[in-house]
Amino acid sequence: MVESSRTASRSRAVIGESQHLLFSVAPGALWIFVFLVLPSLYLMAVAFMTNGPYGLPQMPLTLDSFEQLAGFGFLGWSPGNLYTLLRSLWQTLIATVLVVMVAYPIAYYITTCRVKWRAIMLLLVVVPSWTNQVIRTFGWMNLLAPGTPLSDLAQWLGVIPPNMGLYPSNFAVTLGLVYNFLPFMVLPLYAAFEKLDTAQVQAAQDLYASPMRTFWHAVFPQTLPGLLAGTVLVAIPAFGMYVIPELLGGGKGMMLGNLVANQFAGGSNWPLGAAGAILMLIATFIGLFAMRRIGKRLGGGEEVVI
Amino acid sequence: MKKRTLQRGLSGFWWLTLVFLYLPLAVVVFFSFNAANSAARFTGFSLRWYERLLGNEQIISAFWNSMVLAIVSSVLALVIGCLIGYGMYRHRHRKLGWLIVLIYLPIVLPDIVFGISEMAFFVSIHRYTGLLQPGLLTMIISHVTFQIPFVALIVYSRLVGLDPTLFEAAKDLYATPFKRAWHFLLPTIKPALISAFFLSFTLSIDDFVISFFTSGPESATLPIYIWGAIKKGVTPEINAIAALMIGAVAIAALMSLLFNRQGQR
Amino acid sequence: MKTMTTIATALGSLLLVASVQAQENKLYLFNWTQYMDPEIITAFEEKYDVEVVQNYYNSLPEMFAKLNTGGVSQYDIIVPSNYYVPRLIETGLVQKLDKSKIPNLDNVMEQFDDPSYDEGAVYSAPYQWGVSGLVYNAATFPDAPKSWSLMFDPDVNPSHPFALMGDGQVNMGVACAYLGHGYDCTGVDAWKESAKLLLETKNRERFSGFVDGTPSLQQLARGVSHVAMTYNGDYLFYKDENPESFENIKFMIPDEGTEKWVDVMMIPSKAPNAEMAHNFINFILDAEVGAQLSNYNYYASPNEAAKPHLDEVLTKPPVQPSEDDMERLKFTPSLKGQQLQTFTQLWNEVQSR
Repeated sequence: MVESSRTASRSRAVIGESQHLLFSVAPGALWIFVFLVLPSLYLMAVAFMTNGPYGLPQMPLTLDSFEQLAGFGFLGWSPGNLYTLLRSLWQTLIATVLVVMVAYPIAYYITTCRVKWRAIMLLLVVVPSWTNQVIRTFGWMNLLAPGTPLSDLAQWLGVIPPNMGLYPSNFAVTLGLVYNFLPFMVLPLYAAFEKLDTAQVQAAQDLYASPMRTFWHAVFPQTLPGLLAGTVLVAIPAFGMYVIPELLGGGKGMMLGNLVANQFAGGSNWPLGAAGAILMLIATFIGLFAMRRIGKRLGGGEEVVI
Repeated sequence: MKKRTLQRGLSGFWWLTLVFLYLPLAVVVFFSFNAANSAARFTGFSLRWYERLLGNEQIISAFWNSMVLAIVSSVLALVIGCLIGYGMYRHRHRKLGWLIVLIYLPIVLPDIVFGISEMAFFVSIHRYTGLLQPGLLTMIISHVTFQIPFVALIVYSRLVGLDPTLFEAAKDLYATPFKRAWHFLLPTIKPALISAFFLSFTLSIDDFVISFFTSGPESATLPIYIWGAIKKGVTPEINAIAALMIGAVAIAALMSLLFNRQGQR
Repeated sequence: MKTMTTIATALGSLLLVASVQAQENKLYLFNWTQYMDPEIITAFEEKYDVEVVQNYYNSLPEMFAKLNTGGVSQYDIIVPSNYYVPRLIETGLVQKLDKSKIPNLDNVMEQFDDPSYDEGAVYSAPYQWGVSGLVYNAATFPDAPKSWSLMFDPDVNPSHPFALMGDGQVNMGVACAYLGHGYDCTGVDAWKESAKLLLETKNRERFSGFVDGTPSLQQLARGVSHVAMTYNGDYLFYKDENPESFENIKFMIPDEGTEKWVDVMMIPSKAPNAEMAHNFINFILDAEVGAQLSNYNYYASPNEAAKPHLDEVLTKPPVQPSEDDMERLKFTPSLKGQQLQTFTQLWNEVQSR
């Protein structure tokens, strides 16, 4: 008797809790489901539709758009899209590596400064990203155009031919990507450095003679979670970037994001654009999954926070 | 000895990075005062490009659109995201994997996929129902979608950082859940709410791609206007609008610095 | 509490502002950039007590995409070029004109009464016509040949940056013209050859981008490029606005031939204010307004009645090309179906490699 009434009150509590969960979580979950999950599913469905005479999706269902994405068309196979894919991967890789090379020492340096300066230094790193990315990219357009001091310098050094500017070029795209994503790497790395266990470093310094080995064995593994988090924050949006290649690439730097956007904003082929979006999603999830695996294996069991 | 050279090298690298970060913005501001229409030569100080802005109705309406979009979407996202954040905290011992996936989805989805999904979706909804015509409303909906997760995560992490006994005490003090929420919960997480609002606002102002694909004829925001102007050919007027936006950001940065200082004291 | 109320009030008033804005009597005009005299808009607004909302595009693909993504029910007037007219009609994006509401159609020159792109001019009324040509810096190329070789031959321009057009079909056309297939070529073999030329050209070190007709002029004035493509009217417009910067910039119609085009006014099929759109077309076709328009944007007028009011510059080259040049001008072909997809594949290839 006593037993059953306790179960009853517990089950009522469980119902109350469930209701609570429903009321607190449902509006947001529903919002994201209706306005993001459904649209994404719809976009995926578009990828399996036929391209109409003027680029709009039509029935019947087909795999044509994936064939086109792979480069097969009326004129046989052509490598254009493969170039675009490889260029996107290459730009993402280079930009991420460069961002790490700049962000790593910067994040470390900030942790070595006095506490009261750190917040200001972090703010200084983050503030440029508060302006719109179109404006930031526009700044580089101004800075790298032909006839500007930087372009003149590059000409004098023989890096670029006479009369040309550093923009438009693939180099400008890389630079724009590094500029755009630097703060996303500095912040998680800074968090990792701040948590750094100095006792471990001390012990390592006693154990191994060279600073190099101390770094690799005691410092680097501890910063790995931050590094991986930063890589996710940089690489995924860089891979799908649209604005920077469009403005700074000058027709030579087309990336996957541009291929996808052109099918919609240029009005030529929705199913192909949707298929490109699926490819981008697959790459994104593979990247996330790989980062998690590596993070779990190397990060000493610590979960990578993204 | 060695350590000092390292430190000095790092300090030099830090200043170089600062130059790298601020040079493009400085150039925009500098040339917005250029008398000549040139990005290469500075021929003299002039405010003529700013004067042109004042008379440009499109820029003024773009400015208002940006503001309406950022404020309305941030407020909506604050309410919805706060609820989710609290729900996640209250039920953190349950298996909520699906919710975590749902919340991370807007964060990890590339901008461009996000934008075109929304666009294609809104277009087909409009075709069949006549609702959700591209414009400010569709832009607000899209912005709220990508702001919710950030608000939820900020609120959640603030709640996790609190002492759990506080909640017990609040239960004894206030009878109804609403009173508890109003007198205890909201004041406690106020700092988190403020920073969540500012983050949402910044995210909205910073967004271009998603706005671009969901906008209508009368809902162009400043970034969309600037994009159009760049596409039309770089004119010094863009320097002037961009310089104004950079100025606003600089003021916001100073304010957050002061705010931070006061918080520390 | 107080902040909450403030936020709520602010939110409410903002939404109110947004909803009030949407209710007024308006005409939505979707037009090329730098193509409309603001004074004409003011005059129209006063005459019909309506507010004109203008939006702009730099290329036809952009316009077409916007129309497909909701624009069809949001714009009252669009101004596409001839080769996009058939696809707008076939996709049902535009409506037939009610000619009884446009008495000024009588002012239009005879040759525009039954154009090849819209037989019987059922859906469209002409706005302006013009030429896409080569524009270059004469200080860099004092002895420029009257030929597309300035763009496509690395020996003629070995050392200066140049830009191709943003619109793929125009690029393909001029490449065809340079190779001797004529600007309006459509054969797969000719296209393949042209695409190959475009690809080689774009991969030259001095290539500086695919730039639409209006911005390419700004790039020339700023020295970002020294050879590009643009429209005759835009060239004169900017030259007049900024004579110093454009002192050495010259426009030419290459001997291999190039594009002539007609921009027409059309009404989207679900235009919110089709009635006012007819009024607008009629207003533009008025003799004096038509002349004012041409005098403003430096494009040739299709309006016979406007002739006496035109400035002198509009009666001579490059606005009215010489008879020799006129023979070498061709319309851009209207593509559809497999032909369009073949072209798209080739153009995509040029862009991405």
